[in-house]
Amino acid sequence: MFKDLDPILHSQLRLAVMSLLITVKEAEFTFIKEKTNATAGNLSVQINKLKDAGYIEVKKQFKDNYPQTLCSITTAGVEAFEKYVRDLQSYLQIGTT
Amino acid sequence: MEDKPLDTHESLQVISSMIAKAKDSYHDTGIVSILWGTVIGLCSLATWSQIQFDYKLPFDIWVLTFLAVIPTVILSVKENKQRKVKTYDQTAMDAVWICFGVGIFLVVHANNHVFQMVGELKSMVESAGEPRPAQSFLEYYSAYMLVLYGIPTIVTASIKNFKPMWVGGIICWISALVVPYTNIKVDMLLMALSAITAWLFPGIILYCKTLARRKAVHV
Repeated sequence: MFKDLDPILHSQLRLAVMSLLITVKEAEFTFIKEKTNATAGNLSVQINKLKDAGYIEVKKQFKDNYPQTLCSITTAGVEAFEKYVRDLQSYLQIGTT
Repeated sequence: MEDKPLDTHESLQVISSMIAKAKDSYHDTGIVSILWGTVIGLCSLATWSQIQFDYKLPFDIWVLTFLAVIPTVILSVKENKQRKVKTYDQTAMDAVWICFGVGIFLVVHANNHVFQMVGELKSMVESAGEPRPAQSFLEYYSAYMLVLYGIPTIVTASIKNFKPMWVGGIICWISALVVPYTNIKVDMLLMALSAITAWLFPGIILYCKTLARRKAVHV
């Protein structure tokens, strides 16, 4: 039986952001932008969607007089990501049988 | 990268490539390791040389370890400021090395206090000839220091899966096992060997890798 994949995660950029954040404790916006090769505007929109879903936490602060945006994954985000991977695995198993 | 829906294979590809990119996001420059390997190695060899050739430097060479704390703090703050990402590995290692620093300070503090307490016995021991009290005291606590040196080195080696530090950490612990049975001169040589293998050599390897990465980026 196919399980519905989480629509919040089932998008290239949002999944990339979550995959990055699941392996680190905290990352700057510029780091995520650099690793995903996304535009600042698009990334900002997708980060807000993840934040609204409660999957990530976004902290805005100043570092050496420059604004700094820090992102980290929440417990709900970790659970959603793990469920997404499990659902993907079940899809693949069905596909190979 | 765009906001487009994916098929299952693309999803897996995105996940694995991003995890690989995140893993490759932080690299130790090795400068702090080089600094401490050099300082401890130098202090141990200078102490060995003073005993071997029977001379005395006008100052306690181990004061260098306190001075080395200043560049360590400056370098750590600078590296922390440059970091765009905080990894779990790095957070764990930072905690281990801070605990190590505090641990060393507490051991040195406690031992110096004991040494002062037995100060009155110094003249008695000195009049009796060898071993000199300062030497026998160093002999007493080099094993503790070597045990402490080994702990963060092996934890770092284990987290980073970095073989040169494994070798260095094991040498620290083997030395800690041996030093109670050897004289102060051998103790100091083993301490120098431990510092060089645990920190200096791995630090140089890390620094060379950093230079190679920088070169690759600029090419």
